[in-house]
Amino acid sequence: MTANDEDDISLAPPDSYAGQVLDAQLHLLDRQVLDTDGVPVTTVDDLEITDIPIDEPLRGTPAPTIINILTGATLGTRIFGGRPPSSRLTRIPYRDIKDIGVVVTLGVDAEVLDASWPERWVRDHIIAHIPGGHHDPE
Amino acid sequence: MKQLLAVALGVLTAIGGFLDIGDLVTSSVVGSRFGMALVWVIVLGVIGICVFAQMSGRVAAISGRATFEIIRERLGARMAVANLGASFLINLLTLTAEVGGVALALQLASSIEPTLWVPVAAFAVWLVIWRVKFSIMENVTGLLGLSLIVFAVAVFLLHPDWASLTGQAMSPSVPATETGATYWYYAIALFGSAMTPYEVFFFSSGGVEEKWTKKDLGQSRVNVLVGFPLGGILSIAIAACATIVLLPQGIQVTSLSQVALPVSEAGGKLAVAFVIVGMVAATFGATLETTLSSGYTIAQFFGWSWGKFRRPIKAARFHLVMILCLLFAIGVLATGADPVMITEYSVVFSAIALPLTYLPILLVANDKQYMGDEVNGRATNAVALAFLVIIVVASLAAIPLMIITGAGA
Amino acid sequence: MILSDLLTRPVIDAHGHSLGRVLDVRFVIDGAPGQLLAEARLAGLIISPRAATSFLGYERTDEKSPWLIASYLRWRHRGSFFVRWEDVDRLTSTRIVLARSYRKRSAALPD
Repeated sequence: MTANDEDDISLAPPDSYAGQVLDAQLHLLDRQVLDTDGVPVTTVDDLEITDIPIDEPLRGTPAPTIINILTGATLGTRIFGGRPPSSRLTRIPYRDIKDIGVVVTLGVDAEVLDASWPERWVRDHIIAHIPGGHHDPE
Repeated sequence: MKQLLAVALGVLTAIGGFLDIGDLVTSSVVGSRFGMALVWVIVLGVIGICVFAQMSGRVAAISGRATFEIIRERLGARMAVANLGASFLINLLTLTAEVGGVALALQLASSIEPTLWVPVAAFAVWLVIWRVKFSIMENVTGLLGLSLIVFAVAVFLLHPDWASLTGQAMSPSVPATETGATYWYYAIALFGSAMTPYEVFFFSSGGVEEKWTKKDLGQSRVNVLVGFPLGGILSIAIAACATIVLLPQGIQVTSLSQVALPVSEAGGKLAVAFVIVGMVAATFGATLETTLSSGYTIAQFFGWSWGKFRRPIKAARFHLVMILCLLFAIGVLATGADPVMITEYSVVFSAIALPLTYLPILLVANDKQYMGDEVNGRATNAVALAFLVIIVVASLAAIPLMIITGAGA
Repeated sequence: MILSDLLTRPVIDAHGHSLGRVLDVRFVIDGAPGQLLAEARLAGLIISPRAATSFLGYERTDEKSPWLIASYLRWRHRGSFFVRWEDVDRLTSTRIVLARSYRKRSAALPD
């Protein structure tokens, strides 16, 4: 069963694959990222892939792969245009991803990630100083 | 027996929690100017909020995801940020109106200036959000809000001409003193006040907070389908009270004391005491809901940790956003801005932003990735699409009507 | 390289004819085994001759409800197709050039 049978007639049938198929816009971008304990960390604001040579024939070069989830400053440039310098990118390594479903689950604790420093900063400098913030609500 | 009690509690909470400053003011203003001629809009709005609140509750229970997370995932960053901007600003406006409403209601009880009550009210709201469990917060404000039933009682005590009241409601016409434009402007305001987007953000996030599963769906459906219509009846009762007492005397509703006036004529001091308790509870409850909604929308958009089920230090940015929003409300109200005016604007702006909230919910409720076999049925989709058309028309007509009528003047 | 550099980029064939823009990029988790997941390999591009931005992916599934919205979005993206990464000849600084022998495939997602 395909999306639009009428105009698919001229198209070759879709490829099938052994592994999980992810269309970046549809299955990855803007998805919630959870840490290994299910605590929200951030969203997938963009992806970093291995470099593709410009103006060179690609025949024979291996297909690019995803190396990092990008977050933070990338969101602004994705929405409003432009491109942040590579040094300003906040990265979560692809190798830390445990599962990709409706949410992206990491195999590590949020505390060790660069991506969660603003949360830690607000917690340590503001929220932790207000009495009662360490307890469960009653 | 225990189960029956839980169901009853849920329904009563939903009735008490349905009304907020927007419903109180708008229903009363409309009754005092148009009689019962706009009651059909309340009915329409209640059906609409039932359809979409139920849908967002189902999405929360099945997928464990709250509305704004989904808006971002399904609409993409660019459209979602526009949506966030509009929803957040309108929510902030509503939040300010609700804090002002608490202060006005407390003024009725104490004759202390509302501007003095504002910081007290805001601090109390913050304290509840900081320390009180979600379910307790919901139940207490909801049950106290039930005191507003006194509006329904007052309608009977006022011995109205029932034939004339129902006649106005059944065959609506624009009163001679009003124009068609103001009639439709207030129709949109009333629709916006019944379907305020924060209710959906709050309802779906609340489902996640209380860790709803498929099993809880029955309860949530009963709460919505019984509680909201009964809440809507209270809205109609407020309009009826205004129709019976305020309209013939040409009294304009400019503060909460006019809203309460018919009840005081009908039932004296005791009835007024009920109204005041009900108004404080309803506006306080709505302030909690809008404050939480402001935190929910921002945190869910950016993927931050959120929720009252976590300790505040485990959701630091979520709590910081809410503190800043309450400070903003205090600041605006300190300038002496009139909460009733803010309310009237907030319901119309809510109407403008309605499609932004309700379209994504409809899309996700149809998405198998999130919903599995629990996607919308055809009947729900048909009703929801019909409402979406109404919502879009109301949204598009709101600004031109606001300009033509000078905001309903 | 970041993914946004590929999305919405114009695509031309070997003769310089415009084919549309990159609507989405398809990855498959079947590369070399990694620490937790295998590598996500870029399998190909989904190209739309009409609209530059995807919306909800209705053109890639057989989802039909809510009917009005589904059919509108599918109509907006009619003619979308998939090309394998092996069919991409080169990237220039602004465009993507397909190989002479490229083949249009259905953009439908495998079940």
